[in-house]
Amino acid sequence: MRYLPSSPVEDRALLDTIGVPNAEALLVGIPEPLRLRRDLDLPTQGSEQEVAWQMMGLANKNTRFCAQFLGAGAYDHFVPSAIDALISRQEWFTAYTPYQPEISQGTLQHIFEYQTLICDLTGLEVTNASLYDGGTACVEAALMAVRVAKKRHTVLVSRGLHPMYREVLKTNFAPHDDLKLVEVGLKDGVTDLADLQAKLNGDVAAVMVGYPNFLGAVEDLTTLAGPVHAAGALLVSVTQEAFAFGWFEAPGKAGADMACGEAMSLGNKLNFGGPFLGFLAVKDAHKREIPGRVVGQTKDLEGRTGYVLTLTAREQHIRRDKATSNICSNQGLVALRANIFMHLAGPEGLRGLAEQNAAKAQYLRQRLLELPDMERVIDQPFFNEFVLRYTGDYAVLQEACLKESLLPGLDLGRFYPEYAGCILWCATELHTRQMIESLVEILARVPATV
Amino acid sequence: MFLRQREPLSFERSVPGKRGMDLPKLDVPVAKDTRPAHLKRGGFDALPELSEVEVIRHFTRLSKWNYGVDDGIYPLGSCTMKHNPRLNEKVAGLPGFTDSHPMAPDAFVQGNLETIYTLQEWLKEITGLPGVTLQPSAGAAGELTGVMLIRAYHVSKGAKRRVILIPDSGHGTNPATAAMAGYEVVELPSRPDGTISFEDVTDPVNGKVRKGLNSLVSELGHEIAGAMITNPNTTGVFEFRFKEISDLLHSVGALVYMDGANMNALVGVARPGDFGVDVMHLNLHKTFSTPHGGGGPGAGPVCCAEKLVPFLPVPVVVRDTMKVGEGEVPKHSYRMDWNRPQSIGKVHTFYGNFGVLVRALTYCLSHGSDGLKEATLRAIVNANYIRARLKGTYALHIDSPTLHEVVFSDTNQAKHDVHTLDIAKRLIDYGYHPPTIYFPMIVPGALMIEPTESEGKDELDAFCDAMLQIAKEAEENPDLLHQAPTLAPLRRMDETTAARKPVLRWQKA
Repeated sequence: MRYLPSSPVEDRALLDTIGVPNAEALLVGIPEPLRLRRDLDLPTQGSEQEVAWQMMGLANKNTRFCAQFLGAGAYDHFVPSAIDALISRQEWFTAYTPYQPEISQGTLQHIFEYQTLICDLTGLEVTNASLYDGGTACVEAALMAVRVAKKRHTVLVSRGLHPMYREVLKTNFAPHDDLKLVEVGLKDGVTDLADLQAKLNGDVAAVMVGYPNFLGAVEDLTTLAGPVHAAGALLVSVTQEAFAFGWFEAPGKAGADMACGEAMSLGNKLNFGGPFLGFLAVKDAHKREIPGRVVGQTKDLEGRTGYVLTLTAREQHIRRDKATSNICSNQGLVALRANIFMHLAGPEGLRGLAEQNAAKAQYLRQRLLELPDMERVIDQPFFNEFVLRYTGDYAVLQEACLKESLLPGLDLGRFYPEYAGCILWCATELHTRQMIESLVEILARVPATV
Repeated sequence: MFLRQREPLSFERSVPGKRGMDLPKLDVPVAKDTRPAHLKRGGFDALPELSEVEVIRHFTRLSKWNYGVDDGIYPLGSCTMKHNPRLNEKVAGLPGFTDSHPMAPDAFVQGNLETIYTLQEWLKEITGLPGVTLQPSAGAAGELTGVMLIRAYHVSKGAKRRVILIPDSGHGTNPATAAMAGYEVVELPSRPDGTISFEDVTDPVNGKVRKGLNSLVSELGHEIAGAMITNPNTTGVFEFRFKEISDLLHSVGALVYMDGANMNALVGVARPGDFGVDVMHLNLHKTFSTPHGGGGPGAGPVCCAEKLVPFLPVPVVVRDTMKVGEGEVPKHSYRMDWNRPQSIGKVHTFYGNFGVLVRALTYCLSHGSDGLKEATLRAIVNANYIRARLKGTYALHIDSPTLHEVVFSDTNQAKHDVHTLDIAKRLIDYGYHPPTIYFPMIVPGALMIEPTESEGKDELDAFCDAMLQIAKEAEENPDLLHQAPTLAPLRRMDETTAARKPVLRWQKA
């Protein structure tokens, strides 16, 4: 086995020092009846060449598309070459959680910089070293809001939140008999203010809305903050497309008390949905309730600036069942990709990319609306995703697109029966005008169905 | 590693007008601005302005202050810091995988689904358990999924039950997880050898009696939803009465959760499904060599017994076999099964950390059944070699046979006022990453060493020599250890001030 530094002479020396005739003798602690007395029923070892071919075969079984007009929580963006080159350094990708600060300053300083930039993007004051993904970040945000609000047990969730985030919230709230998740309906693609006001009461800890939401529409955090704060609840913005932070105001500055969501767009590939990058940013007053790893600045014995994992009194290795969460890892390397991405982009890059995304999506929408079977549905400011009603048959449209190696937008009826027949479209800086024209041309040829 | 020069925060290097990214020319009309004035993005306060070369140098310099697995032995107990094969990285970076969209129809992601299905099959055979979900993103997320399965099972039988039993030697995530899943935690005491005590245990210091497994099961009975047991436990010892423990718990209808953090000691040697485990998680970033990435991403698949399969998170990837003529090779297709009415629901937005799953399958295919077992045995030999070489010099608090890791105590060195932290910090001066320290809590001043199978005799000897030299220094010149490390980029850090007056981000002066 090429990964094992074994040789007959050295192996013998190891066993002699231990004082056993063979390795099996060291299994004495495992009672005989509990041992596996056969080989695992699996193929035997493969050379690098054989395994490489086998895995390439699997990768090739996925269909490659020329262009994907699908977002819905996973966005295709350009990834600068520097990112893969940097994260391939063993010092970054093989290191463990930075428990020993003296020999982990690289990871620690990077996380401190990452925390700074997530705070900058969200307009809030404290964040952690990252969370698993958008859905689980929503769970952590909701549970944190319940801790902060004290003696309030209800979390209101806008129907505009990513349907899978809502599913993950539901799964994680199920074990808590004392907590309630209540859905707030939509009106013209955004959270229905009247429904929200009807559901706000003294038991509501937090209200979670998409920013922009799953339908691509931006929620007016400033307007929502009024009634939410008047009811003594926290407003939580959930962003599934981090590029929107270059277009819409930072949630912390627009009225949100907490911001969470998905930041995979910053320097990551689609990867079939993971690893992605969850984030949660909060106000300074709530910092001791935040879950997950947090890095802080300090000094060493000689007064030199350095970084450590801090506020550990919240965490499970100290508090055990009283901890703020069971999370003890983060998405370290994905956070590093995001950090490098934000460094390369800078303020102008982030703003410029946002402008391009908005321009491409607006152009795509305008061109699609020129087709006879596409209609407006929602009339709200949007970023790089939007909904149109399609009067034809989605299956036929999809088939036509796939034949030309284009992945069309999402059939929204799968998640929103009230939007059956509607398609959620997405365009980013990756979509050239030519790709958009090809799509429109193909759609124009799709036979109208009765 | 260990560049001596200082690298300031990038923000301090920022100069207005520098760019690290050029954008493509916009080939469509400029976006119309439909945003309400109060929702237009304002300024940024911290995003730095740097060129590409400066960004690359910044992150390269920072990297040199990290210790990685390629630098040498990384003996963090319970963390299984093994070699990260480069093939796995290359494969996970294939565009066929990286460009695939999680919302694409099943027919267009057959390669991904086959990857998931195949890894599921490997993990089933390795654990001896027939159900698998690959969705959880980390060990702790796997634990939570597992306990939610236990809860759903009991709810389906009428009541969720109230209590989860957890040994005092367990990892802190176990009680935190049980609490997050709505359970009350009752602690199981350990015997002097670190294994779970069936009998009540009297604390030698305060005389308090702690109830053992027998008393707890007879008193709490049907209130017990399950127990979360790490096996081998955190002292590296196999719970030799595991079958009796699971039989006793099953007798009151409780389920057995196994924390699989230490599975590197068992792969190919013993299967949890064969000794009464109902549900467990695996850490692909430990046992299956996927890189730790400075904290993540990991993956914590959950394997379970038949009775828990209906409750697995959706979707479950299944294989359909198409009918073919006689003598022909059967054709398979793969799909996501979302129609599972008893499912606990989703535990990840999509299907888990897929890129990590690709690496783990590559590890499995490279090792095969024979290589997996060889790796397990090698990991056990390595740990026992360190044990043999350091025993006597360092105190072995527990003398039972250990598998993949060994836990020493600082009691011999404490006589010279040298403690575990000092030993750990001095190891840094010798060029090694320290072991896990002060865990498990049942061992005073614990030094938990797990070398994994990736170390050869040379590296093990060099590490042991350093440990022995440090023990000598502890006797002759304890101050050397109190001052350590002196050769790292920084000396010991003021963690108290960091927590008392937290500075958690950079702000413009």
